[in-house]
Amino acid sequence: MKSKNASGFMLNPFIRIAGWQSFGLGLAFVVLMGLIGACSNVAFDGVLDMHLIKDLTLLNSFLFLAVDVVSLVLVMWIAGLTLSRNFRFVDILGTMTLAKAPFLILAIAGLFTTAPDMTQVIRNPVMVFQSVSFIVLLLLSIPVIIWSVALMYHALKVSCGVNGNKLTITFIVALLVSEAVSKVLLFILA
Amino acid sequence: MLPTYCPSCHAQLKVKCLKCENCQTEVNGSYDLPVLARLSSDDQQFILRFVKNSGSLKEMASEMKLSYPTVRNLLNEIINKIDTYEK
Repeated sequence: MKSKNASGFMLNPFIRIAGWQSFGLGLAFVVLMGLIGACSNVAFDGVLDMHLIKDLTLLNSFLFLAVDVVSLVLVMWIAGLTLSRNFRFVDILGTMTLAKAPFLILAIAGLFTTAPDMTQVIRNPVMVFQSVSFIVLLLLSIPVIIWSVALMYHALKVSCGVNGNKLTITFIVALLVSEAVSKVLLFILA
Repeated sequence: MLPTYCPSCHAQLKVKCLKCENCQTEVNGSYDLPVLARLSSDDQQFILRFVKNSGSLKEMASEMKLSYPTVRNLLNEIINKIDTYEK
């Protein structure tokens, strides 16, 4: 029963935490992701993206994360407005920021990862299997992204107080749009 | 807790008889239950808490150890139930 509650809390902490409280907690995770990501060369260059980049600067690490969070929050806020008028912006801000927290696992895992030489991988894709740590990071990224998406879904659900197909469809569209917006913004800033 | 639904067919119950404990007079009829009495005991507790907190959802959230939007969603669910009963 206790483990069920714990897993429920891990998937939907927003029943208990939202608003400024979750924003503060989410911001702490984002700052850690920025710092550790810069050390491990893990760039979060998109709402659902993670790439290993050579010589990632601290400034770029935080710039990527800022673009991610801003794109996600703004698009989800607009999506929320189409679902309900009866919600607070600070709940979307806080819950969506905290929903990025699982990516911290990838930033930490990146510290133990050696990226394969991509020019060689392009010539011979089998070369990628020579870097076990890289494969582990790739495999780890799947549950982390699923966890983060589940958190984002519950963030929108709790913040706007809506259910059903309309929520699911709006969420999927908003997630894809936020990913596209973050990519466009990063392209412009680059 | 006042029963509000039929234990056999789950239909809404009505008040058939009220009795004065002082003079033993009984008033018989078929009266609808008040809207608030039709809500579940959890919903009634929520409304009591809402009134005691002067309608402050923020204070209720901290008292119930829930987030503000969760408490607001619970209130919205009760409002929807009341709207349904009033129809």
